[in-house]
Amino acid sequence: MVKVIEVEPVTRLEGHGGLRVVLDDDGKVQDVQFNITSTRFFEKFLEGRYCEHIPRITPRICGICPIPHHLTPTKAVEDAWGVKIPPAAYKLRQLLQNAKQYSSHTLHFYALAAPDFLLGPFADPALRNVVHVINKMPDVGKMALKMMDFGQKLCAAIGGKSVHPISAIVGGMKKPLDEDVRDKFLKQIEDQVEWAKKTVDIGLKVVEDYWDVVANVGVVPTYYVGMTKNGIHDIYDGDIRIVSPDGEKFDYPPQKYLDALGEHIPEHSYATHMYYKPAGYPEGIYRANTLAMTNCADKMATPLADEALQAMRAKIGNISHHTFAYHWARLIELVESIEVIATLLQDDDVVNTDCKTLDVQPREGDGVGITEAPRGLLLYHIWSDAEGICKKANLLVATNHNIAGIEKTLMHVAKQVFEDKALEGLKLPDPWIK
Amino acid sequence: MAVKVAFMQLSDCWGCHQSLLNNHLGLLPVLPALEIVYWPAVVDFKHDSLKARENGSVLVGFIEGSIRTNEDYENVKLMRDKCALIIAFGSCSCYGNVHGLANQWNKDDLVRRKFSEVESIADGSGGEPTEHTPGFRDKIVPVDEVVNVDAYIAGCPPKPEGIVSAIAFLLGQKPFPMNDLAFCNDCSIKDNCLLDTGKLCFGPITSIGCSLKCTSNGNPCVGCFGPAKTVDSRAEKLIGMTKSLASISSGDKKNLYEFLTLFLNIPLMAGFDLAGDILKQVKKYGSPSTPLANLPPTTEEIAGGLMAFLRDNPDFTEISNVCDTCPRIIGSKSTMTRVKRDYEGLPNMEDCLIEQGYICMGPVTKAGCGGLCITVNTPCSGCYGQTKWGVNQAERFADTVLKQFNVSLSKDDLLAQVKDPIGTFEKFTLASRKGGV
Repeated sequence: MVKVIEVEPVTRLEGHGGLRVVLDDDGKVQDVQFNITSTRFFEKFLEGRYCEHIPRITPRICGICPIPHHLTPTKAVEDAWGVKIPPAAYKLRQLLQNAKQYSSHTLHFYALAAPDFLLGPFADPALRNVVHVINKMPDVGKMALKMMDFGQKLCAAIGGKSVHPISAIVGGMKKPLDEDVRDKFLKQIEDQVEWAKKTVDIGLKVVEDYWDVVANVGVVPTYYVGMTKNGIHDIYDGDIRIVSPDGEKFDYPPQKYLDALGEHIPEHSYATHMYYKPAGYPEGIYRANTLAMTNCADKMATPLADEALQAMRAKIGNISHHTFAYHWARLIELVESIEVIATLLQDDDVVNTDCKTLDVQPREGDGVGITEAPRGLLLYHIWSDAEGICKKANLLVATNHNIAGIEKTLMHVAKQVFEDKALEGLKLPDPWIK
Repeated sequence: MAVKVAFMQLSDCWGCHQSLLNNHLGLLPVLPALEIVYWPAVVDFKHDSLKARENGSVLVGFIEGSIRTNEDYENVKLMRDKCALIIAFGSCSCYGNVHGLANQWNKDDLVRRKFSEVESIADGSGGEPTEHTPGFRDKIVPVDEVVNVDAYIAGCPPKPEGIVSAIAFLLGQKPFPMNDLAFCNDCSIKDNCLLDTGKLCFGPITSIGCSLKCTSNGNPCVGCFGPAKTVDSRAEKLIGMTKSLASISSGDKKNLYEFLTLFLNIPLMAGFDLAGDILKQVKKYGSPSTPLANLPPTTEEIAGGLMAFLRDNPDFTEISNVCDTCPRIIGSKSTMTRVKRDYEGLPNMEDCLIEQGYICMGPVTKAGCGGLCITVNTPCSGCYGQTKWGVNQAERFADTVLKQFNVSLSKDDLLAQVKDPIGTFEKFTLASRKGGV
């Protein structure tokens, strides 16, 4: 008899989705579907809006990563109108983007992912959550809360609001950081760097504990998509980089994205399936997000993070297909973000009032902006008329880049679980929280 | 005893939850009071576990998001069945939010653009995905279009402190003093009771213990000491008066609103609006230790009646708007002579943004945010919702600013210079039937 296993809903994520695994009479995996069940049509209702208002609307795509959704369309409109922003604005935006990266990666690691490996895969679902982690490991819990708080407060200080920021404008930033506010954050940097390092240590211990899982479950070769600036890891600015399953790298400037990124409309998900166009669908299915970024980068932008990257590469190779290593890569990016924050907070450009050019004129044309959001490459393509009103928009959103790759990984893991019974012999550690 | 709460997400962004989490260490005192029975964003309970619960067995249900899909619609009804109190949590849930702008188009146009036309579709695939997907509703609507809502927390997102205060309030963590006797026992007015002269005085249901400042000055009691354990016999008179409020002025409506805020000890945060049957529901389903569940029946009738009245007659014109919390100068050295686009120039930090030429929704938007956007030199775009419903919002904005600000433009000129009136004046509320006309 055909057996259908449904997970409804998939929990601990932003968004709406369910998972369906269909097994045939012999217990073979017939089908795996990752059903994303909501979408809100930003691609349509941005039409008719003032182009400069788009960055005030699109942060509502994601409440965890509203900052990239604020900055990326701003960059797209600047590209369309041919606007050059002052260096101070560039650095402020970089700081804002990294502050978000820092809080989002901390949230992801501690609040969304950690319950799985601190309590173990067989824990009571009623307890497998961050509230229980905080109750049982209050020191770690408080440290995590203080890290998220730092990132979110820095986002609010620059962006006006941490959720749905408003301070970026076509032409720059509406306001720099106040000096006394900057100094307040600078004072906390030393602690934050320590805590970021401590988080990496916790991560390394988890990798060690779960090595059997990391090395053997969900190791799936795919293409990868990310962003690099001259080959170096960057989350605010750069070119699109594709890495093939065997490690070949291809760079595309943002404006050439249609040569690289293709969209397939599946029948079972409102989130579409992305793939590397020259390789076709489904062969060209790629993955995005942290491990994709570390696969793309020649090196990290900062010393501690690069050291951490080299350590990971020594263990799992320069190009890794280990799905569970996404957590590891996330912590490497976490370290980079706090290092970038530390450097930029000491740069007087972030308190420089010359952060908005007055030379902004709408013109007819289209522009593309990209950044690397915490969950993957984010791309806005905006068409403006001569008055600066949006004629059309195309959005390739971070999580969406990963949907096809996630489904492909799920198929692989479903076969491991149901056909090869691969989980039965796995070595698992004693849970930290019992 | 921990109180059962559920969090539901409809079509939305998770930002309200992020805002709740932004309390960070501030969450620690609240968490032990909650038994979270459903919160897909954070805990692992599945949909079936919520379905299996007894109707009304969850005290508070927070609904984030608006209704775009059939699944959203079903989930709202499910939450209403399972939860004694429904909180519309955030501006999606309250008003529809920015994606309500999609209501300018037919569903088919939306689906065609997203699933067939976008430039990156490259392999000939396309069309609406229909296998194991819920399907879209014709229009986006906020939660109160489908079920009754007991309280609203507006904002995109609502402020972190506001959310925690609201939760603490509903869980009874902010106890009232609840003295035995009512204010009337102490009242400084011995003859000519204010109630007899037709003034709404809340002395009969309010605790004794204050300095009697209001009545000493001839003013009615506004309830700031909260409910008393017993009520004075004059409460009958008060009930009668609160039942005939049809022709009440906007100013008096403001007084009612402020009375409820003081009387029920609602943390001071505009944007948390109680509506309807909240007191009855708490009494029926709430934890017995919740002070809200222990009000004298007369008090409950009066306060509950006022809440229902304010719910059915929403008008916040006289209640604080964003300008009231904005430090900029109105009547500044600047004057709007034409409407500027947001990318133009760079405004100074002192003068009112409207007077500097920008469209700022402050004067027509409910307060509660603390003017965050303005602190980074950016105009308000109205995310807490309008102060008045059921009017043409563009015209109301123009009328308001022409009257109260340095604007030397005719109404027609001002409105003609705004090329995207819907996106400018109704960005957050187009999907709400309460909104514009």
